[in-house]
Amino acid sequence: MPKSIPVEPQTFQRAGELAFPRIPLHAYAQPFGAELAARGRTQMVDILRHMMLVREFETMLGSFKAKGAYADISDVYKGPAHLSLGQEGAAVGAALALEPADHIFGSHRSHGEFIAKGLSAIAQLPEAALQRIMESHRGGTLLRMVEAQLPATAVTSTAENFLLLGLLAEIFMKADGFNGGMGGSMHAFFTPFGAYPNNAIVGASAGIATGAALRKKLANEASITVSMSGDGSTGCGPVFEAMNFAAMAQYDTLWTDARKGGLPVLFFFSNNFYAMGGQTIGETMGWDRLSRIGAAVNAEALHAETVDGTNPLAVADAVTRKRAVLLDGKGPALLDVECYRSGGHSTTDANAYRTREELALWEAQDPIAKFAAQLIAAGVMDQLAVDTMKAGVADSIAAVTRAAVAAAPVDVPTDPTLIGRLMFSHEEIAVPAGEVRLLAPPETAARIRQDAKKSRSGLGPDGQKLSPMRAITYRDGLFEAILHHMLHDERLIAYGEECREWGGAFGVYRGLSDILPYERLFNSPISEAAIVATAVGHAMEGGRSLIELMYGDFIGRAGDEIFNQMAKWQAMSAGILKLPVVLRCSVGSKYGAQHSQDWTALVAHMPGLKVLYPATPHDAKGLMASALASEDPVVFFESQRLYDTVETFQPDGVPQDYYRIPMGEPDVKREGRHATVLTIGPSLYPALAAAQELEEANGLSLEVIDARSLVPFNYDPVVRSIAKTGHLLVVTEASERGSFAMTLAANLTRFAFGQLKSAPRVLGSPNWIVPGAEMETTYFPQAHDIIEIVTSQFYPDTQSNRRGIRNWDDRELARNGL
Amino acid sequence: MSTDVVMPQLGNEITEAQIDYWSKRPGDKVEKGEMLLTITTPKLTMEIEAPASGTLKEIRVPADEIASVGEVLAVIDEA
Repeated sequence: MPKSIPVEPQTFQRAGELAFPRIPLHAYAQPFGAELAARGRTQMVDILRHMMLVREFETMLGSFKAKGAYADISDVYKGPAHLSLGQEGAAVGAALALEPADHIFGSHRSHGEFIAKGLSAIAQLPEAALQRIMESHRGGTLLRMVEAQLPATAVTSTAENFLLLGLLAEIFMKADGFNGGMGGSMHAFFTPFGAYPNNAIVGASAGIATGAALRKKLANEASITVSMSGDGSTGCGPVFEAMNFAAMAQYDTLWTDARKGGLPVLFFFSNNFYAMGGQTIGETMGWDRLSRIGAAVNAEALHAETVDGTNPLAVADAVTRKRAVLLDGKGPALLDVECYRSGGHSTTDANAYRTREELALWEAQDPIAKFAAQLIAAGVMDQLAVDTMKAGVADSIAAVTRAAVAAAPVDVPTDPTLIGRLMFSHEEIAVPAGEVRLLAPPETAARIRQDAKKSRSGLGPDGQKLSPMRAITYRDGLFEAILHHMLHDERLIAYGEECREWGGAFGVYRGLSDILPYERLFNSPISEAAIVATAVGHAMEGGRSLIELMYGDFIGRAGDEIFNQMAKWQAMSAGILKLPVVLRCSVGSKYGAQHSQDWTALVAHMPGLKVLYPATPHDAKGLMASALASEDPVVFFESQRLYDTVETFQPDGVPQDYYRIPMGEPDVKREGRHATVLTIGPSLYPALAAAQELEEANGLSLEVIDARSLVPFNYDPVVRSIAKTGHLLVVTEASERGSFAMTLAANLTRFAFGQLKSAPRVLGSPNWIVPGAEMETTYFPQAHDIIEIVTSQFYPDTQSNRRGIRNWDDRELARNGL
Repeated sequence: MSTDVVMPQLGNEITEAQIDYWSKRPGDKVEKGEMLLTITTPKLTMEIEAPASGTLKEIRVPADEIASVGEVLAVIDEA
């Protein structure tokens, strides 16, 4: 694929100056009468009622936290209550401008946005659709509870009760809450109304909403996503990464046909002026007005505006206009919605950071009081009607609260493994068989022609090892599995840094850019957080993603996205959401301390992630196929030292056809009877070299087992091996302390204690920095280090042959935790 | 006088590469610096330029064949 965008000095080396678009502040100027005429009395009255419902809902929660009671209902609520009192105009105004198919992704303070979006969807959806949605949610159990305890005649009234009860039951972590009680206040969601997950991590929804918008664009859906977060989130790097990812120029310059144009995502900042207690204007930020940050992202300044969040009509007007911009392919967009939080950050907020005078000034801007006064002035309602509405809303919330308090809790005592079962679905899709759009037939790619001529086996006719130019390698095995899925499943996209022309930093994708259009395979910015977060959002909307971080050492840059988002959403949604994301992490070498670390233990430690680390071309291909077919999220480790490895275990080499190797099955790579050596990743090869040498020199035969998977992991084959050998050595290139090898050794000690003739050993790298290339053999376990342990500790009667430099007292270091 | 087109050293671990395609045929005029052929290694694809101007006299390693570092791939006649 020839380069299409030139970078030439004459374009840049010219004097000039940059101009920025003007960013409107509080530009809304529609007369109330005009809005009334356009929207009609019913909708205007509903705007007030919706704001009141949000206010009363939050007041109720605040009351439970403060007094353990609301109205005449007593209950102990231990969970969080980040209330949005005073921000109702922003939530209801935004929802007013959105359609049911538009999806919002909220924050820790999103009860109001959730309720408003639900009410808006209920007002727009046909009754039959509402009925179907309520019936099909978790077998209709929530609907049965609503019908029994909150009887109503109109379907829309039932749906409103369903919305409020589903949310409140979830906040109270009850079994019939929207997330089955697995999410709670900060993670509630109900996708049929377009309320996608709220998020307890500040700003985390920005990347997820961006990925969801990517899927909407790829599926040609005429709807948008909204990232909802506070002003404080503008201090979070991942929010900027998401905005930049959403604004990449390539959507216009390189993507084709219907996929051209910016991502349909609106970054909606509910700006309540305080990030907990830190004041964003004048103290913790430099932007002065939040909308200014749009100018940092693209030439359109994200079409940014600051709007009055105390006026739902001003917010609705702005969201309507931005939505049109997004649907026109001109996204993304940003709104700074100023809406003062009149309540505390949480119920333990002593308001030490603001004055009574300031609070009083904003009280006069209360969105509900202002809007009610406007309706009265326009003759739509009188004070009595407003008071009656308020009383009716309070009655509704009280009734919903009674039902939520009375609802059954998640019954973990009678079903102790309930949460465990929600961690993974263990589901796989069928072998993809669809047709996809290609730039050119696969056989036109030189890589594919080149691979077709290679030997499937890594051994030549005389048993000699073939060069990586002449036999299918580990890199090629990965490529073949990926190619199959990419050629037959349009939902699958692949991206990361340098994935396209470069083919990934290590050439795994080389050749794919010849045949796949940009929208299926693209270069991302150096934004690890956005790479992972967007894949999570893409998956929530029905897409599948293959993403890569180039080096496993960059996992730290995407810590929240991997550990809190990718890992947690399946269980936090009680299994309703599926997360088909494969995250490739290449374990390096030669580049020293920040580019050569095996961090498998870090990832395996996090509940909710499957973790694979193949060591041979055959296993790389089969496990990558399983990972791409998986509905569960998978972190796929690869070793840079193995990319050129050819297949020497399978007699017929790497099968040409598509196949899968089940996740979680270790593989005996060499049979033996004197000691079991269980290896993780590339440690397989020194173990095999040690086995060869011990066989020849000492007549000891090692059984070498390649773990292949870390999560899940079937211990049975290893236990069987220990029953035969009586000795266990686990070898890993990770630093020993806290390594996954330690977990394996601890479990195997328990499972095979009676069979062991000596204490199991773990041989990893020292708990030191990885040194440079010249010193690596002194750091990563080598064959002679394995021989040393087997001969000196398992078979002390054989002559030890210490040749490595590991003459330090590793036992003494371990006893001091060093 | 003639100049050899030689398979370049492509990093200290690569010993051979495959000829992807020739953009000139024997008898064609070539300019020094002009793209002459593309080669691929397991990890990358790269273009090789003509080391001299003249006529491409012969191609010794055709497309899709593998050649070692230092091997003569073609000869240019600098007439």
